[in-house]
Amino acid sequence: MSTKTFRGGAHPPERKHRTEELPIEYLTQVKEVVIPVNQHFGAPIQPLVKVGDQVKRGQKIADAEGRMTVPVHASIAGVVKKIEPRLQSNNLEGLAVVIEADGSGAEDFMPPLDGFSCGKDDALARIREAGIIGMGGAGFPAHVKLAPPPNKPIDLVIANAAECEPYLTIDERMMAEKPADLVEGMAIVMRVLGVAKGVIGLEDNKAHHLDALEAAIKAAGRGADITVQLLKTKYPQGGEKMLITALTGKEVPSGGLPMDVGCVVQNVGTFCAIAEAFRLGKPLIDRGFTVSGGACKTPKNLVVPVGTVVASLVPEHIQLDEEAVRRVIYGGPMMGPSLPSWAVPVQKNTSGVLFLDASEAKVYAEGPCLRCGRCMKACSCRLSPALLNVAIKAGDLSEAEEIGLLDCIECGTCSFVCPSHIQLVQRFRVGKQLLRAKKQKEAQRAGK
Amino acid sequence: MPANNLLLSSSPNAFTGVDSRKIMLAVIIALLPTTVYGVVLYGVPALLVILTSVAAAVLAEAAFRALIKQDVRVGDLSAVVTGLLVALISPPSLPLWMAALGSIAAVIFAKEFFGGLGANPFNPALIGRAVLLMSFPAAMTTWHAPFGALTDATTAATPLNVVKLGGSVADVGMQIAGSNDYGTLLWTLFVGNRAGCIGESSILLILVGFAFLLALRVVNWVTPLAMVGTTFVLSWILGMDPVFGVLSGGVVFGAVFMATDYASSPITPLGKLIFGAGAGAITAVIRRFGGFPEGVTYGILLMNAVAPFLDKLRVKKYGYVPAPKPAKPAKEAGK
Repeated sequence: MSTKTFRGGAHPPERKHRTEELPIEYLTQVKEVVIPVNQHFGAPIQPLVKVGDQVKRGQKIADAEGRMTVPVHASIAGVVKKIEPRLQSNNLEGLAVVIEADGSGAEDFMPPLDGFSCGKDDALARIREAGIIGMGGAGFPAHVKLAPPPNKPIDLVIANAAECEPYLTIDERMMAEKPADLVEGMAIVMRVLGVAKGVIGLEDNKAHHLDALEAAIKAAGRGADITVQLLKTKYPQGGEKMLITALTGKEVPSGGLPMDVGCVVQNVGTFCAIAEAFRLGKPLIDRGFTVSGGACKTPKNLVVPVGTVVASLVPEHIQLDEEAVRRVIYGGPMMGPSLPSWAVPVQKNTSGVLFLDASEAKVYAEGPCLRCGRCMKACSCRLSPALLNVAIKAGDLSEAEEIGLLDCIECGTCSFVCPSHIQLVQRFRVGKQLLRAKKQKEAQRAGK
Repeated sequence: MPANNLLLSSSPNAFTGVDSRKIMLAVIIALLPTTVYGVVLYGVPALLVILTSVAAAVLAEAAFRALIKQDVRVGDLSAVVTGLLVALISPPSLPLWMAALGSIAAVIFAKEFFGGLGANPFNPALIGRAVLLMSFPAAMTTWHAPFGALTDATTAATPLNVVKLGGSVADVGMQIAGSNDYGTLLWTLFVGNRAGCIGESSILLILVGFAFLLALRVVNWVTPLAMVGTTFVLSWILGMDPVFGVLSGGVVFGAVFMATDYASSPITPLGKLIFGAGAGAITAVIRRFGGFPEGVTYGILLMNAVAPFLDKLRVKKYGYVPAPKPAKPAKEAGK
């Protein structure tokens, strides 16, 4: 099979070898979970429980009305101890429900639903009620992607199996161990959308899973409609836009969404969660993630109840060389935030927890821009990071917008390749905030 | 948990490992073949010019930055590159104090005055050469035949000089290759056994350096190819021998090592193409109509002035290909 890819990008050291062969370990018994109420991208939701309430595993504990909302469920059976702001994996404090396990293991799942015979609205409602969000990182509500407006016809469902971030192997293990769930989830989504074609975009560093995936597709009685496409391993191929371009050659218009080019993209983990939401009636209450990094003595792929505080797994399940830990990252090293502690819960969109040592977590002083153009070649959005940097430093936000500040997907490839260690993407994040604030101010002024 | 040991910063938390110093080191390595060959051709005097020039550049940069209370960045090797380039485009018999002056002008006037590494609008080494050429025209145009003592008695003309003074290409052949066979002449020029600047004569070794830089992706092929190609075509149109023109002067050296200077050339692909073509065209025009036999220095320096404008020729952004969105109105309202 020929491999496809997109233009630009880079190839950071993969560092997946420590965990890519390790079967997923499942951990269901945790003493306490801290479940952030707002884990999705969209409108905020509110807790439905009070301190002292008894909750079952799978019971809804927070929700709100509104299209861009997704409920949150208790991931263990127990008692609500506190509802208070806690540090979340995005480095901000947010309201969280703290549940202490009572050891009963009582479950409150939804009844199973046949995704291949139920109505379309029922299926969408099920996906929402199961609290499913994009598990790749951004946390976009899954049901919203699956209900595009009628003027946006969809013709392709894409499973994002690129897993282009270094270290992370959880998607790879899900594919190796639960390929049937992936195919089932895709088939349900294709039916909901009325789409006849699905493709699994797999980077060729995981090509050895190709046979298992194709066997699972065949076993599910699919074949012509769901295919696997190999992609040349390159970062940021797991970015939605880059994946679509790699697979279809189409470009998502500026400011647009995948549905503008007839595509719906979901992560492997999301499809598996959708399959379970129908087959078992199980909401998204367990999360698989990769634990790795040079300061981690027990790298592994682990599934825990959502809200499990990583520090509570140390040292029983995760052994660290605590003195050597220099950086804690939730997610991958290219886009994941560094946290000031690992006493932070695993969330629905946590794909990895990395404990980097001094050799992996270097900090560099920013040097002058050489104008070497490496960032421009690496930019998969074909922006001009070097020129963008100059414009933002000079405070010229209109010029920055013209160069494409708002089109930046913040993948960080420019900063990765910069020989002068210039904090390009970091500055663009700030620049975006400034530009949005400026636009808001202008809109207010225009309104007066 | 030793939380106070933890580093916090915005992602990404990975780096390629190719830093400024390694890039400069690659350029120095790429320059080595032609540098060594220059010393072989012209002996110890050439070596002394090279050493003086490099030392002067490094010291000037360090002293100036210390004086203006900035970090001394000798470690990034950029001053070494500048000093080496100044030497390689100087005649081997250049008095050492002049070589030092050229480097100092290059580093201080052309680079540090504008903000140092990455901020120079003009190519520092070419500014150094331009300063020397205007201040000491005689010393800068005294050439020596290879493999001889650099005394007054052994002065020789460069191939382009011979032609500028009305000589024919065959005359050059007789002079440097001892034969009026055209093929022998071109081969001699390609190998570089001729009078000229220390490092510009051997096209072969310059191309070896170029291949090295291309393999490491330090430079891009667009600018050099556009420059040499344009010189070739325009020389032809203007009635000069294009093959001789490309092989005989500094155009290949300039195209590979000067026109590709990061700071003073455009950063966009289309900009690079126009920059190279413009420098090549000016070179050919100066050679044909100008007072100097060679035009590479001014060809590149003039295009340096245009480079910031060429940076406006950006590639089409992702997502703008099918139907560019009219983002203009919002921008106008902001003004």
